[in-house]
Amino acid sequence: MGETVAVGTRILYVEDDHRIRGAVKLALEDEGWQVDESETGEEAIASFGRAPTDVVLIDIMLPGMDGFEVCRSIRRHSDVPIIMVTARADTHDVVAGLEAGADDYMTKPLQPKELSARIRAMLRRARPSQPGNPRLQFGELEIVPQEGVVSRNGVQIHLTKTEFRLLVELANSPGKVFSREDLLEKVWGHGVFGDGRLVDVHVRRLRTKVEADPANPRHVVTVRGLGYKLQP
Amino acid sequence: MNSSAGSPSVASPSVVPPSRDSEDRLLLRQLYRGLQIGLRGRITLAVALVALLLSVVLSVTTVTVAKTTLLNAREDGLSNQAIANAETIRGGLGSTIETADLQTLLSSLPGTGAPSIVIGTTGVGGNEPTTVSVDARYGIDMLPPDLIRKVADDREGSIMRFRAGGESLLAVGIAVPDSDLSYFQVNQLDDIDTAIRSLSLTLVVAAAAATLIAMGLGFWASKYALQPLTRIGDAAEAVALGQLDTRIDYDDYAADPDLAPLVANFNDMVSALQERIDRDARFASDVSHELRSPLTTLNASIEVLANNRDTMPERSQKALDLLTLDMQRFTQLVEDLLEISRFDAGAVRLELDAVTLVPTIEAAVRMVSKSTVPVESDPALESVVIACDKRRLMRILANYLDNASKYADGATGVFVDLHEPDGVDIMLSGSTVRIGVEDNGPGVPETERTKIFDRFNRGDQGGSRGIDMGVGLGLALAAEHARLQGGRVWVEDRHDGGQGARFVLELPMIEPLEADDPEDLASVTAEEAEEFALTGQLPAIRIDSGTERPS
Repeated sequence: MGETVAVGTRILYVEDDHRIRGAVKLALEDEGWQVDESETGEEAIASFGRAPTDVVLIDIMLPGMDGFEVCRSIRRHSDVPIIMVTARADTHDVVAGLEAGADDYMTKPLQPKELSARIRAMLRRARPSQPGNPRLQFGELEIVPQEGVVSRNGVQIHLTKTEFRLLVELANSPGKVFSREDLLEKVWGHGVFGDGRLVDVHVRRLRTKVEADPANPRHVVTVRGLGYKLQP
Repeated sequence: MNSSAGSPSVASPSVVPPSRDSEDRLLLRQLYRGLQIGLRGRITLAVALVALLLSVVLSVTTVTVAKTTLLNAREDGLSNQAIANAETIRGGLGSTIETADLQTLLSSLPGTGAPSIVIGTTGVGGNEPTTVSVDARYGIDMLPPDLIRKVADDREGSIMRFRAGGESLLAVGIAVPDSDLSYFQVNQLDDIDTAIRSLSLTLVVAAAAATLIAMGLGFWASKYALQPLTRIGDAAEAVALGQLDTRIDYDDYAADPDLAPLVANFNDMVSALQERIDRDARFASDVSHELRSPLTTLNASIEVLANNRDTMPERSQKALDLLTLDMQRFTQLVEDLLEISRFDAGAVRLELDAVTLVPTIEAAVRMVSKSTVPVESDPALESVVIACDKRRLMRILANYLDNASKYADGATGVFVDLHEPDGVDIMLSGSTVRIGVEDNGPGVPETERTKIFDRFNRGDQGGSRGIDMGVGLGLALAAEHARLQGGRVWVEDRHDGGQGARFVLELPMIEPLEADDPEDLASVTAEEAEEFALTGQLPAIRIDSGTERPS
């Protein structure tokens, strides 16, 4: 694995179990990250406001304010990449975490090396550097990949970095059908066995932001049984 | 196959390779079942038999009584007439008896039309009896000798039924008083016979009709009588298929002292079962959380230690290596146990995806096996897309490949073949795809081939429990994963006849759902999954409104 981590990349790690927190912090520091710890959701939100944070890692099961709540709260004023950590891989937790605004999720037991790889992929795509078309137009939608700006009818739309990457990926090949695997690979850097729900929930979130009528999408459309595509 | 999602023996139906034997046995069982009469049939039959018996007794009685009554009336009438006629003859006779006179006398008697009259005389002017008859068809020689003797010799009046000349006849004999004369009057009984015959026929038809009607009534009534039983049976079936919230409405049967306890007990039983399963599922989920938390600490700590391995003394390094290896084993064991407890708790979810089969298998093989294993696939399957649970497919393949590297020197090849139904196989009736993983290890002896899919069974070569040996849950889980998708697993010899084993996964080729939204593919409940596993039929698409949460 390429060990080129920007010096001073800060991870905010929210976990109530101090033994897990301690061990994972040590392992992540070995990978070159700087880790800020929080024991509760409330503490995490306070600390998020104080120090610049590049990635947030949230355990769902927290006393008091739970992980979903923390995620929603951070998402209200930041598009920082968020990874949810869950002890249960059942649909409910995963989908709820993604709906709350998380970009990705991991299940315990965490393998710190894999976690690092995910963070690295996330930071990479959080800084889009691909030289695509300078300006893409889809009906009333305008996308400027280099500047990370999307606007509808001239009004700028606020997207998270993952949502933006997803939109640009689809927009770079208009009309081409992307399977869920394709998008997982290109947007999240996961392999064939990634979780398709990541794509589904992000597409849904994207639609609520860019479509005039999210229930009847005109641009981000579903291709029956195959995947998704973007059309003008 | 029962549908108890988790009894320890469920692996068996899905690890049996196709065989003729099972088909024969099934046919026999079906035949046997076909010959047995159900409860409803027995009730219907009993009611019909009782109706038949009653009808027969009633009919026989009716016929007998009717016949006796008719005959008695006829006999009485005839006797009275005969006595009166005999009186007339006596009065009309002079001192001498002439045959011609008798003839005239007889002809003038009343009631001598169709029923003919015969007069027999004995000892009239000699030894030879003289007979006079009004009807040439009926003479003295057709009368029963017993009757003649009784009247002519014993001088007693007598009546007798007999058959002569193909006719049923009634004869009355009177000894004419104060003379040697005997007077016989004969009457035909055919009209009575005809009446009785037509009555019998009517009664037979009526009996048959009554039996049929009773049969229908029995069938109809037994349906109502058995309705509670049918309802309980349906409810039990629903429970068996995983619908644990099934209950029978107690109020419907509360008034019935026979059924109320049965219904109450049934409902209590299902409640207890549901509670138990819910508790198990909750337990599995809690255990999941409890075990994964310390595992996270352990894994992360070991990784930190491993990062500094080079700085450690040699003995510490060895200890760390042991720790790392067993940590992997322990993590896998916990994952497998959690997985299997989910099966046992019935808390499984089938996540159906549209999977492009061959590339997915190739990717899985690349991901799992350290060395490159060649994947040979049927060209017909090149771009085939089927509906299956990708994660479970991956787990099965990973387990096969993992076993190949543990018990042999790794897999030698993966084969993806299309299998068309041959009519012999009853478990999977449509086209299937068979994925075989071959190795050149010691192979699996015939006697072990079913057993190795049991939990914690390591096969015969289990003696060498090296530190990186797997725990014996992998194949049991593979069987469960396959069964859930309507497929199965087994092990056989290598197809090229070489030394080694071929582990096979067979999956039904199911067209992916034409879902409006790809995510709909994933929303399949445990019950639907179970149905899918049992029937191979995809459940109808269910849009889960619960996922439409505000973001």
